[in-house]
Amino acid sequence: MSAATDLAVRLSDASVRKSWDVYTAFDWPEQLDPEAEWYMLPELISIYGTETWEGLSETEQKRLSFYEIVNFFSFVLYGERPLISGLMNRMYRKRTQGPITDYLHHFIDEENKHMIMFGEFCKRYAGKIYPEKKIVLPREYAKGEEEIAFFCKVLIVEELGDYYNLKMMSDKTINPLVAKINKVHHIDEARHLGFGREFLRELADETVDSWTAEETESFRTWLTQYLSSSWGDFYNPAVYKDAGIKDGYGTRKMAMAHSACATFRAEASQKLVDYFIDTRLLSEAPAL
Amino acid sequence: MDEKAIREGLRGWIIDRAGATPDALPSDQQAILDDGLLSSLDIVEFILFIEDLREEEVDIEAIEPEVFNNIDSLVEAFFPDAKSVSPA
Repeated sequence: MSAATDLAVRLSDASVRKSWDVYTAFDWPEQLDPEAEWYMLPELISIYGTETWEGLSETEQKRLSFYEIVNFFSFVLYGERPLISGLMNRMYRKRTQGPITDYLHHFIDEENKHMIMFGEFCKRYAGKIYPEKKIVLPREYAKGEEEIAFFCKVLIVEELGDYYNLKMMSDKTINPLVAKINKVHHIDEARHLGFGREFLRELADETVDSWTAEETESFRTWLTQYLSSSWGDFYNPAVYKDAGIKDGYGTRKMAMAHSACATFRAEASQKLVDYFIDTRLLSEAPAL
Repeated sequence: MDEKAIREGLRGWIIDRAGATPDALPSDQQAILDDGLLSSLDIVEFILFIEDLREEEVDIEAIEPEVFNNIDSLVEAFFPDAKSVSPA
């Protein structure tokens, strides 16, 4: 039994023990006041540490924190959609039949509940889910690359999301419903991340050595660009406009280029980047 | 903004993003994606630039990937009401 298969057995047991009902897990207040409290933890807000952030009043900062959490929940929701689709397409295959498919049933069930949870918050309190702007174009893959790319995408959306979950789930200064959503998400994601890291490591061990130097370099370039692009989701011009900042696109460009934000991205990505280097999917830490 | 300015804006963004020189995009019919100037991972950033240029959000569900073929198809899809002033 491979390490991932052995782990899948234990994770399935844990998923059964920790199963929860998305329709009864939360008490949803009738409404939330965007300017009355913190929603996204201030130091996690995309423009934190910039002159634009310092120029906002506390009320304006709180309003921005509300739209930032709606954006965070929106793009995690959209990130989970292709994840569910991809996992479903990988069930009951030769490689995944048995305990791994058993666990994928839990994985998909939990991701579906997360989408319901995030969607409920966004629709109820913001009246919308920020739309994603991604278009998937067909591309050619080296042998095994498509599988590895899929599980890298899974790991990126979950690892970055979990960095935020961990910071917010026990914090007493933010809205308690937001803290609870982050905690519920983290508890499931900890299992998903454990499985994803192990399964991807086995795939990488089997595949990377079969690639040519050119194929390996091409994959690493794509992974670097994908990770950088994923960080772009946090800097949404529509969020800045909703928060009352006039130049939404300019604010995005400013923040993405600002040294304080780059330092934050590097710190938040450290664990993920170390894993990718350890599995040889990256050769060095990229500039994010 | 008139059509000429829109085309120049799109051209400048693509060349800058690709890290290329202007001769890499000699006409508004040249393929942007197929010729490797942009990749699918550049599209999100490009859409946000287009939204800023036209001062209106893009409904991603209403467009097909083919609109990113070249500058002509971009103008037709995202700036249908732009005043036509002798395009490049």
